[in-house]
Amino acid sequence: MSYQDDEESVPYDDHPNSFPKNFGYGQYEGEQDNSLSPTGEQKPRILLMGLRRSGKSSIQKVVFHKMSPNETLFLESTNKIVKDNINNSSFVQFQIWDFPGQIDFVDSAFDPHMIFGGCGALIFVIDVQDDYSDALLQLHSTVTQAYKTNSNIKFEVFIHKVDGFGDDSKMESQRNIHQTATESLIDAGYDQIHLSFHLTSIYDHSIFEAFSKVVQKLIPQLPALENLLDILNTNSAIEKSFLFDVVSKIYIATDSTPVDMQSYELCCDMIDVVIDVSYIYGVREDQEAAFDEKSSSLIKLNNGTVLYLREVNKFLALVCILREDNFEHKGIIDYNFLCFRKAIQQVFELRNKTNQMLNMCNVASSPIMNGNNLVDDNNEEILNDEDN
Amino acid sequence: MSTISVLQEGPVNALALNKDNSQVAIGGRNVFKVYSIEEDCFKEICNLRASKHLNLSFSCNDVAWSSTDDNYLATAATNGHVCVWNLTKSGKAMQEQVYQEHKRTVNKVNFHSSEPYRLISGSQDGTMRYFDMRCKAAVATFLSNTESVRDVQFSPHMPHTFAAVSENGSVQLWDVRRTEKCIQQFTAHSGPIFACDWHPEATWLATASRDKTIKVWDLTTSKPTLDYTIHTIASIGHVKWRPQRKYHIASCALVVDCSINIWDIRRPFIPFAAFNEHKDIASGVAWRGDSQVFLSTSRDCSLIQHSFKDASRPASKANIQALDISTKGNTLFGMRVPVSTNTTKPTGLMRKSSTSTISDQFHQSASVLHQFTHVSVCNDLSSFEFLAKNYILYGRSFPEMCEHNAAVAKECGKSNISTIWKIVNTMYGELYVKIQAMHNNGGLNLMNNVDASSTEKKNNDVVGEAAAAQFSSADDDVEGEDQVDHTAVANGYHTYNKYGHPKGDFSFGENELDLELDALSIDYRNGMRNQNQLQQQEDWTLPNEAFNIRHEIRDRSPPPEQFPNNNSPDFNDDSHSSTVDEQPTWLVSVSKIPPMPIWDPSASLIESLKHHAEKGDVQTSVSVLIVLGEHRKNLKTLDENTVTHWLMGYIQTLERFRLWNVKALVIELAWIPSISQMNQQSTRINTNCSQCLKPLQRSGWLCDRCHSTDASRCSICHQVVKGLYVWCQGCSHGGHLMHMQEWFSKNKQCPTGCGHLCEYR
Repeated sequence: MSYQDDEESVPYDDHPNSFPKNFGYGQYEGEQDNSLSPTGEQKPRILLMGLRRSGKSSIQKVVFHKMSPNETLFLESTNKIVKDNINNSSFVQFQIWDFPGQIDFVDSAFDPHMIFGGCGALIFVIDVQDDYSDALLQLHSTVTQAYKTNSNIKFEVFIHKVDGFGDDSKMESQRNIHQTATESLIDAGYDQIHLSFHLTSIYDHSIFEAFSKVVQKLIPQLPALENLLDILNTNSAIEKSFLFDVVSKIYIATDSTPVDMQSYELCCDMIDVVIDVSYIYGVREDQEAAFDEKSSSLIKLNNGTVLYLREVNKFLALVCILREDNFEHKGIIDYNFLCFRKAIQQVFELRNKTNQMLNMCNVASSPIMNGNNLVDDNNEEILNDEDN
Repeated sequence: MSTISVLQEGPVNALALNKDNSQVAIGGRNVFKVYSIEEDCFKEICNLRASKHLNLSFSCNDVAWSSTDDNYLATAATNGHVCVWNLTKSGKAMQEQVYQEHKRTVNKVNFHSSEPYRLISGSQDGTMRYFDMRCKAAVATFLSNTESVRDVQFSPHMPHTFAAVSENGSVQLWDVRRTEKCIQQFTAHSGPIFACDWHPEATWLATASRDKTIKVWDLTTSKPTLDYTIHTIASIGHVKWRPQRKYHIASCALVVDCSINIWDIRRPFIPFAAFNEHKDIASGVAWRGDSQVFLSTSRDCSLIQHSFKDASRPASKANIQALDISTKGNTLFGMRVPVSTNTTKPTGLMRKSSTSTISDQFHQSASVLHQFTHVSVCNDLSSFEFLAKNYILYGRSFPEMCEHNAAVAKECGKSNISTIWKIVNTMYGELYVKIQAMHNNGGLNLMNNVDASSTEKKNNDVVGEAAAAQFSSADDDVEGEDQVDHTAVANGYHTYNKYGHPKGDFSFGENELDLELDALSIDYRNGMRNQNQLQQQEDWTLPNEAFNIRHEIRDRSPPPEQFPNNNSPDFNDDSHSSTVDEQPTWLVSVSKIPPMPIWDPSASLIESLKHHAEKGDVQTSVSVLIVLGEHRKNLKTLDENTVTHWLMGYIQTLERFRLWNVKALVIELAWIPSISQMNQQSTRINTNCSQCLKPLQRSGWLCDRCHSTDASRCSICHQVVKGLYVWCQGCSHGGHLMHMQEWFSKNKQCPTGCGHLCEYR
């Protein structure tokens, strides 16, 4: 057993149904590229763990490789640690370490620092349709081991394969798992460890939502982004807006109003439509990417709602839901959007600057950025738009 | 208090009432105003966005009004600020405190109910902060360790406790004095929780979630118990208990549903009342301290005061009966029953009724739920046997038999067959007898008069009546009644007074018909409907006058082959019948009363019998026909061959079920000669000669072919058997019963050594 440290050799890329590694997006050649990834070690990592056959590889394939959920039935079981770099987006730079379920990585043969050292979040997948008592034991040992090594890890438990469960049994198993897991941690004296629980299934969008929440916890700029979206919504009479990672359809940020599952699914579907259509009609021969800075789309639904998609940067898209009568002021919305995009770029630049600064100081962890200053900078600008 | 509304310039996110419910503050992205509530309108007191220096703190997610001091308002802003406003001041000074502590949007602010200056906020960043308005910074911070806090509410019962609900579906109870850890935490929903509300009196906490439920938790014990669950059609954004009504709660949806629903938590599937004034989803609800009036804000930019008398009651429009059928054929039927009949026992297996004496009117009702399970014991085979054995086919009065058979069929789970029996009973039962009798009675009565003089004539008449009126089995029974009715009816209906009066009288004044033939006057009515049959009767000598009904029928509807000249008109010809056709109109002209219409059920009955026979259920068809007895002859279009076929089919099936008694009974009751003759056939079974294996035709001990008496010898003792001779039908060997019994108790093969494995039982 060996770790595949070399990122270039991707073990499963030749799988018949998986997407090419670059998802048809071409090489990322932004000027930020160098500064964004100083070294591979500093990328926050997401670890995907769980017992064998609990659905880890399926989750990864469905979320990041656009595999259809039905095809995951034919996935073979993973027998080595697979590292997948999701580095096509300036926001989501994650490695997903898909551990084969049968490895006892707590064994002294494995170096916990190697595994948990630079890890941002640990996702533990529990197959709820199976008997999960073993999984809970495994969860306990994994979490304690990881916590000993790296106390900054966020622990996320995916109560997986809940499709087909009724609401009550979902609740029941969640409560059961929550209680057992938390109590065993408290008994072991780790009451400072906090586990988050998500009910997931690859057959609906719950896995995307759960992943979105995990990813959002690892984005230090989230408050700033949320605030920007709130301001955009307020000044453009938008009902709901999502900032999407186009590849995975994970939402990096959304405004502070509650997320409605149907709207989210609608937006996901819209992204699919846009990418598929532009793959067919919008790609010139000299370029590979189906999503570029000119990408935008407008879908009018027959219930008086408009879906509006705009490209934010090469990998991010803003999808808004608004009422048709509010869409009359498309000029203002477009102008506000430009301000919004500029603000987001400023957020990035700030991060890059801090990153560079930190690199010079040789500090490994990235500090949480205070979004307030930045928002205030942009506030006036956007608010003024309204008066125009 | 009536429904009043006022329109704003932008969507409204929240509202708050002051402590004496006379003023309302509303807040939204572009709206921040205070109104006083007048009798029939809202009056704007103050617009807090009038200031020139607007910033994001002025657009609010939530508004709260101090419950102790009328001058203080608190707002939650999307940029994470919590602001406290002093209404006594003006301009920029109104914004008395701005707490910039939350990193993300603040979702909720809530004033403490008794302590002035104290308020709490819940934010998207997963923290709650406890503020004292006199301090510049938060007094306490609570880390929920959840994604984001959607609602915080101080408990009205425990002064230091507040509840916080969060997006990961958990509810936390905190003590404001303990910041490090919550008192209690439990997972309440499988989706994000958006709102919670403490019950003003009971220790209930209502939570509303994206999973489309409102749950009511009882928090008296350390382990929260789920007392009620309300299922809604959309995610719920806000809930508020209705004051003075213990079980009522108001809710507004986050998407789809624009109405504000008031639920009775004991009735979780249909709202008690609904208010549909809003055009877009409602964003906030506040009761004006009174159970009859509440205010609501909405994304459609309006603020509305609702009066309960304008509510629509969805329950009143609901269908009060429900039916569903499972894949296995089980049926569930729910219906409302009047309260007074609460005590009646329904026939179903399950009964669920709810009664209550609370003043709410809909609780005064009761409902029953019947579950009809598919009875598996009554599969076709066993039910056939059961029905065959238990049907009563003779010996009682017609209605009695029908009722009995209907009950038998029902017991067996064959409700459709049971219904047929009941219908047959109705169609040919007593009521029908009366109606028919009224139609007939003129003729009948008079017939009785003539009766003595001519038996033959009577017989004709009986047939004629029956043919015309579809019914005659109870002739004797109804006669008494006929006598009574006679005077009344004789005038009203077809008064065939030709019988009673001299024949010459028959011509009415205006009668244009030439009634030349006397014979016509005898049977003109019969000729209308059953000419042929009548002719049959006419030219056939009637042998069985004194016989019982069954024989009479059999004789009267003989198989066609026995009467080849059946159809030949030799008495009446068509011209007569055609003239007769018009006659009733003239006859009726005697009286003004129209004749009671006679519906002829025979066609429907034949159709249904055929339907059953086609489905393979000749049992029903045959049994009904047998029970019908004399009414059978009304079923004229049912052709004899079909009936014979059914009978044969039924008899054969009975044979297979070894229901010999029933078979014999059916054969005996059969009215078709070819069937009833079956019983006349010999039932003799010949023994076989044990040597040539041919039946012994002549006698039991001498074979005509081999001329030996071996056939009757016992295979064991070789003596001629006299008395009981038991033999094997397979190899024709046999002997004394005792000997054979003894042999076969030890052996299996035939005692003669022929090698046959006889099965002796």
